[in-house]
Amino acid sequence: MSRHLAWFLSAVVMLAMSAPLQALNYEVGGCKTVTGYVNFTTISAAVAGVPAGSKILVCPGVYPEQVTITQPLTLKGIASGNASRAVIAINPNGNLAPNVTSITGQSLYAQLLVQNSTPNSPITVNIIGITVDGAGGNVGCGTDLAGIFYASGTSGTINEITARHQQSSDCGNGIWVENGAGLSQTITVENSSVHNMDGSGIVAISDQNPLTLTAAIRGNFVSDTAVSEPYGSTGIYAQGNSTAITGNIITGGTNVASQFTGIATDQNESGGGGITVSGNVVADIPEPHGESAGISPRNGTIVQSNKVSNVYVAFFPQAITVGPTIQSNTSMNTKYALAFNCIGNSTTSVSGNIFSDSGIGLDTVPSQALIGHNSFYNIDTVQADPCP
Amino acid sequence: MRALTLTLGQKLEERYMSRHLAWFFLAVVMLAVSAPLQALNYEVGGCKTGSSYVSFTTISAAVVGVPAGATIQICPGVYPEQVTITQPLTLKGIGFNNANRAVITINPNGSLAPNVTSSINFVAFYAQVLVQNVNPAGPVNIIGITVDGSGDNAGCSAEMLAGIFYASSTSGTVNEVTARNQVNGGCGWGIWVENGAASSQTITIENSSVHNGGFDGGGIAASSVSPPTLSSTISGNFLSNAGLFGIDDSSSGVIAGNVLTSVAGPGIFAEVDPLTVSANTVADILGIGIETKGANTVVANKLSNVGDSIALFPDVAATIKSNTIKNTFCGIDFSGGSNSGTISGNTLNDSPYGFGNWFGPTIGGNSLYNVDNLQSTSGSCP
Repeated sequence: MSRHLAWFLSAVVMLAMSAPLQALNYEVGGCKTVTGYVNFTTISAAVAGVPAGSKILVCPGVYPEQVTITQPLTLKGIASGNASRAVIAINPNGNLAPNVTSITGQSLYAQLLVQNSTPNSPITVNIIGITVDGAGGNVGCGTDLAGIFYASGTSGTINEITARHQQSSDCGNGIWVENGAGLSQTITVENSSVHNMDGSGIVAISDQNPLTLTAAIRGNFVSDTAVSEPYGSTGIYAQGNSTAITGNIITGGTNVASQFTGIATDQNESGGGGITVSGNVVADIPEPHGESAGISPRNGTIVQSNKVSNVYVAFFPQAITVGPTIQSNTSMNTKYALAFNCIGNSTTSVSGNIFSDSGIGLDTVPSQALIGHNSFYNIDTVQADPCP
Repeated sequence: MRALTLTLGQKLEERYMSRHLAWFFLAVVMLAVSAPLQALNYEVGGCKTGSSYVSFTTISAAVVGVPAGATIQICPGVYPEQVTITQPLTLKGIGFNNANRAVITINPNGSLAPNVTSSINFVAFYAQVLVQNVNPAGPVNIIGITVDGSGDNAGCSAEMLAGIFYASSTSGTVNEVTARNQVNGGCGWGIWVENGAASSQTITIENSSVHNGGFDGGGIAASSVSPPTLSSTISGNFLSNAGLFGIDDSSSGVIAGNVLTSVAGPGIFAEVDPLTVSANTVADILGIGIETKGANTVVANKLSNVGDSIALFPDVAATIKSNTIKNTFCGIDFSGGSNSGTISGNTLNDSPYGFGNWFGPTIGGNSLYNVDNLQSTSGSCP
């Protein structure tokens, strides 16, 4: 009897709890009509209308709106019927005025803006399985366009996102995350598809010392991100912060005639955190345009175990105080495997790499650079253009 | 008997002597064998001038002039010749001074007539480096050589062009090779290996750079009679702008860890089974990324910016697992047939069509994000 009583009581408790639990289901778009869901017709209304920490399910469909998130929550695209794509699009009748200013001073029009109005209590926002389409959002270049923008004081994970068609007179960016002064933040951008930008694919920056942003950019596929000269464009760009750029695939796609760098980093000169670029594949940037390169690490960035193919310059390291470490990478089918432009010092280290099929192996090597043992196959000129 | 009994001193002396004698004989033996050992160094191009080297001015002269099993070192330089290898040996490009590229090119004054006919498709080939009728049997290895096909414009009606061609009944390893500019009016292949014979052969193509091939040809072909008598490993190669096909494989074996970009497609065509296609990166392809015709295993590949990422011939039993597909027009194309294999653990993000040309029940066990049409019946995939 007592065991039956226990089961009965347990069932009562569960029933009692299930009603308020059901009220914690939120959806946008009307594909979840069962009891227990609170429905919204726009994402903007949902992100303002749910309690902090909620998960909002977004039904397949097109949402022509600009979304600003100012509280912790999770935004998740879901499948319904035969579709599984929720697209945040530019509102053709909307205002294209900038809605955020970066720590760089750059004003931006962000399609999906994560912003914290109370910097002393950071917010965590996760975005999963959403498409952000920038078509129609050419706001020029005085104001940049960004698909997703995480402003200072925000943390979270961006997973399985598609960011596409952010094209704005050579200033359209897919995903931009940053942190300025204040509490440290952690942001992960992973498994996302970023393509057809005309600025940069993924940007992670911090201007603080000590650093206030730890970023992981991993498993993303970036392609067709290129601009016309003289503007520079980058697949993945990390500046200042402690960032691991790992396992991404970056390709030039069909825009081979443009200036494009697969991965560019600019680590803080005075230390405080490192940038690591490892296990990435960079391909199809075969034309010489400006400073186009496969991987361009600046300062103490560690570049290891990457594969670079069909690229004009595979590695283009730069050092101001502490040089980058380039080790155990493989490059094939390049014009230059590694070009220093005579910038670097004794803290620049190059070892354990395999450079195969290149016109020139090492170019413009600064005399102090530490060139360890590397393997060269099918190189017309192993070392060229000595520095003065 | 007593005379044969040695004192302790005599024993020590004898032991001492015998040790010296042993060293002496060893030295004599080493001297005796060292002369022929030194003669086993062979080079082409004149960058190795030591007395232990036998020098040749052409690769063609070297490959017939050395004993079977020899290693021939090729100095940096341009070698405008057609090379036919008929004995086991190793051909190895070496660095000298500031250069590290030995290039076999088309001889502008030479004949462009075909020198081999494929025993698989019976097409006449002009092979720049031809490995055939190897006697005695043994591997032919080619390491660190560039083969450049510029200048053979005989065209498709005359012949196919191949940078490196391993004919039937040959085996070996192609490692760190560059094969480039095998265009020939569209009918060019970087590396073509085949076996039409009944006895099995093993060929490995690894860590090589293959690019700018013919638009009706491709990068690497491994061809065999059916059932396959050629076992091939194609791994760690980088292919780009290789033409129509990246890798066309009708042998048995493995296609693993290659980076393959910018071909018309299919990037990888697994024509027969059993083949394992694993951990390749395939990107920037308008057509099909990976196409499988048999009960093959396609696992843990990454495909990006591809028209039709993985295409199955109808009614096969292919295993398609743990692949990551992003920015594709069609994720997995079943070509209107059934598939009795396993389709699971794949992640698809950013695609108008997820599972295309599929008339069967809902496919579960995969993760699909940002897909406009999860499953569709016809006309959806390129």
